[in-house]
Amino acid sequence: MQATKFQVKLYARAGAIELEKLVPVFHEWIRNKKISDELLIDVADYAHVPQGPGVVLIGHQSDYYLDVADDRPGLLYSRKRGFDGDFQAGIDDAFQRALEACELLEAESSLDLEFATDEVLFRVQDRLNAPNGDATYAEYKPALEQASAAFFGAAPSLERLGTEREPFAVRIHTGASGSVADALAKH
Amino acid sequence: MTSWKEQLGDRIPEQLAGEVDLFEGQIELKKQGKLDDKIFAETRLRRGVYGQRYDNGLRDDGTGQKTLAFPCGDLTKGPDTVWDAPGMMRIKIPFGKLTAEQLDVLSELAEENSDSILHVTTRQDIQLHFIHIEEAPDMMRRLASVGITTREACGNSVRNVTACEYAGVCTTQAFDVTPYANAITQFLLGHPDVQDFGRKFKIAFSGCEDNPCGLVTFHDLGAVAHVRDGKRGFRVVVGGGLGAVPVQAKVLAEFCPEEELLPLAQAVSRVFARLGEKQSRARARIKFLVQKVGIDEFKKLVAEEREGLRPDERWTAFLDDLHATDEKPVRDPGAIPGDAPAGFRAWAEHNLKPQAQEGYYSAIVKLPLGDFTATQGRALADLARKYTGDSIRCTVEQNLTFRWLSGADAVAFYDGLIALQMAAAGAGTITDMTSCPGTDTCKLGISASRGLTGELRKRLTLVEDELDPAVRALRMKASGCFNSCGQHHAADIGFTGVSRQVGGRKVPHFNIVLGGQWTENAKSYGLVVGAVPSKNIPKAVDLITEHYLANREGDESFQAFIARVGKREFRKVLAPIQKPPPYEEDPSYYSDWGNPREYTIGDIGIGECAGEIVPFVEFGLQQAEQQLHDAQDALEAGQSEAAALGAFTAMVTAAKALVRHLEVQVKDDADDVVANFKTHLHDTTLFHDPFAKGKFAAYLLKVHAEQSYENANDEIAHRMLDEAQLFLEAAHACYERLTQAAAAAAE
Ligand code: HEM
Ligand code: SF4
Repeated sequence: MQATKFQVKLYARAGAIELEKLVPVFHEWIRNKKISDELLIDVADYAHVPQGPGVVLIGHQSDYYLDVADDRPGLLYSRKRGFDGDFQAGIDDAFQRALEACELLEAESSLDLEFATDEVLFRVQDRLNAPNGDATYAEYKPALEQASAAFFGAAPSLERLGTEREPFAVRIHTGASGSVADALAKH
Repeated sequence: MTSWKEQLGDRIPEQLAGEVDLFEGQIELKKQGKLDDKIFAETRLRRGVYGQRYDNGLRDDGTGQKTLAFPCGDLTKGPDTVWDAPGMMRIKIPFGKLTAEQLDVLSELAEENSDSILHVTTRQDIQLHFIHIEEAPDMMRRLASVGITTREACGNSVRNVTACEYAGVCTTQAFDVTPYANAITQFLLGHPDVQDFGRKFKIAFSGCEDNPCGLVTFHDLGAVAHVRDGKRGFRVVVGGGLGAVPVQAKVLAEFCPEEELLPLAQAVSRVFARLGEKQSRARARIKFLVQKVGIDEFKKLVAEEREGLRPDERWTAFLDDLHATDEKPVRDPGAIPGDAPAGFRAWAEHNLKPQAQEGYYSAIVKLPLGDFTATQGRALADLARKYTGDSIRCTVEQNLTFRWLSGADAVAFYDGLIALQMAAAGAGTITDMTSCPGTDTCKLGISASRGLTGELRKRLTLVEDELDPAVRALRMKASGCFNSCGQHHAADIGFTGVSRQVGGRKVPHFNIVLGGQWTENAKSYGLVVGAVPSKNIPKAVDLITEHYLANREGDESFQAFIARVGKREFRKVLAPIQKPPPYEEDPSYYSDWGNPREYTIGDIGIGECAGEIVPFVEFGLQQAEQQLHDAQDALEAGQSEAAALGAFTAMVTAAKALVRHLEVQVKDDADDVVANFKTHLHDTTLFHDPFAKGKFAAYLLKVHAEQSYENANDEIAHRMLDEAQLFLEAAHACYERLTQAAAAAAE
């Protein structure tokens, strides 16, 4: 079976971030249906956990984290439910949604956040269908290169991360230096 | 591979595999509309798949209640529980014991099926939140492959058996209770005699009388290790519990020899299954049965039951090898290096405990709000593999303890924690608060116990080093409502969520409970001193601790101080901060900690405390009990007017619950409640007692008409409290009659 639990993380340019400020922002997104094609449910606040998931906007289809894993704050998009569409479309969609969420966050005046586009973390939370190993990497590499090129241009370079105990993860050096808006415009 | 079932194959024990398959089948049947809602709810609860806040598909977004339009449409997983709504999985960890491998798998599930957070509960379980029901069977298979079952983690069943996290390594224990806790867990899991309980049943073990770790006194069944004339046994207590009206367990046997422990537990179970309350869930815990028949009669019943039991070899088989559960250290013992760095020493002061075994220590990893991440979980599993072996225990204070750490490795272990940012010092001190899930995820939550705990923790950690040692040593615990899952009665300073109406708006509050005893297995519970707006709780903590430091005599303990000065004095201390400013002046009081939405209690749902769903009416009846309890406190404190008003309020609350149960719309206003009560319950004779007829209903009608709570003196207050007590009894009885009638009509 094809995995669909894709995660895409884009890193914030600022090194530190006041996580508490995300809580009212995410509540407002729920109230005003800021992501119009997602059912947004609630906000989970894990600001107290070091290097943790930060503040999470819980949805039905996907979750959106302002995640501080590795002490590197960023927007982590996480798809939870299945995706109707082919493999490449699923990956592109995850990139697209992550970038759109970044754009929304950049527009929040209370936050003063900006995201970098030179690096993307891609993960699959599905050890059954996408174990962290060479075979999975071989399967995903072309699709990730294609998605990266489509959004960020240039020729990306990829690096597989972690061991088989960890979820399948790839760091993509996109070669881009533009803004989130540029990436969305390009696609 | 196409499925976890195939992939794991016979790594899943056969029986568990069958159970999970069955559950998966039931999920399918439910989707096809072939299974009743209530039956399915009970099925999933018995497998640890619990509800979560907003799973009725409604949520207040701060501007009013909105529908969450889940794609599943009308499909439900229980009455009023939407199929697609995220739920919680409670994973039963007997006596909190985890292996490195189990921690790995739990971490995988946290990432793949939850939000990458693992949460340690106050009863040594692990919970994962925001789970979709259809992912539960595979999660169970993966857990089963490492020897974990979620079976009977919720529901009207024997819940997780808890025990001190130092069992086996403790310096004060009579002996290691682990093999006994393990034996009782195995023996009672799925046992036919525990399937027909009216309510959940919680068992705890303690290795000694004096230390708190086992907390046996508020359990349904508790066992404290003793050696008498060279023979092992237990002092067994029964009928303790927290909740709205906390009860200390009573002694069932001063000394129960080890070979009699399992049969005794079985006999108690049979008595509970046979005689325990089944209709009114609010009174179904065994504590009510013990109260009703009295402990002497209860002992007699248990003894008779024991006589009639058919012998079972499992009662004693485990005694042949009491070392089966022993942990094997992976490193040689050693001393802590004399030149250990200062940071290590500060951490070790509270987080490292010498074991009975020379050269070994237990290290406590202090978790913020009981949470850790999947990545941290894997790294901790690696630390365990390297230094301590499979000796991890979840603790009732929502931490993780790693036992069998050689003193020679202690600094390296600490360095490992630093790298994970998990080396917070001060385990078991004021910065190490315990909290239930509260309004974050619990359907019954009234106030944000986690939000409050996070806030207090943050503030106190900043000043930790400047705190007076007597204050630093205090324990604080918070529960989001009177159900007391945060065990706040057993804390020096405890908090319970309540809501108060101020100027036409709801304001989140916490009732402050002072002087509960944590030592001696939670020997006494604290005193309720009054409700304070949530946003003033940090101030309240300052005022309370300052008052204590300024007025204690010599090195008087906090508990002794509270007992000496009484709660009246603390009421005075807190009085200046008990009233929130008007909304127009400071709206921040009108939302809760960590939650910017305007505060509402409209999101409170029907709790799935256990087994069958808790109907709202029972929630109301419990609330009334608490109000009555508070009124009794007020009378004791000489506040007769407040007591009388409290008695009246309790009657109104109970009346409202019943009126609502009849599906009559009723306002939050005494006049409206009483009018409706009169029309729908009194005039219809539904509330009539078979013998006393309208007598009890008349109490409420009369007090309401005469407003006799105004300027009530001591005598009037006393009488009103007695009347309210009878009224509440009558309300419970009325509810029972209504449910019986409904059941009869349905047949
Ligand atoms: C959906 C709602 C609820 C949630 C999420 C919840 C959660 C919890 C948690 C996490 C614990 C620690 C226990 C464990 O690990 O097994 C706990 C314990 C407890 N729960 Fe709940 N609970 C809920 C409803 C209730 C209700 C309705 C009651 C009572 C009517 C209740 C009474 C208690 C008590 C008294 C304890 C702890 C003390 C003890 O062990 O006796 N809970 N609950
Ligand atoms: S104390 Fe209340 S709010 Fe907290 S978990 Fe228990 S039922 Fe929920």
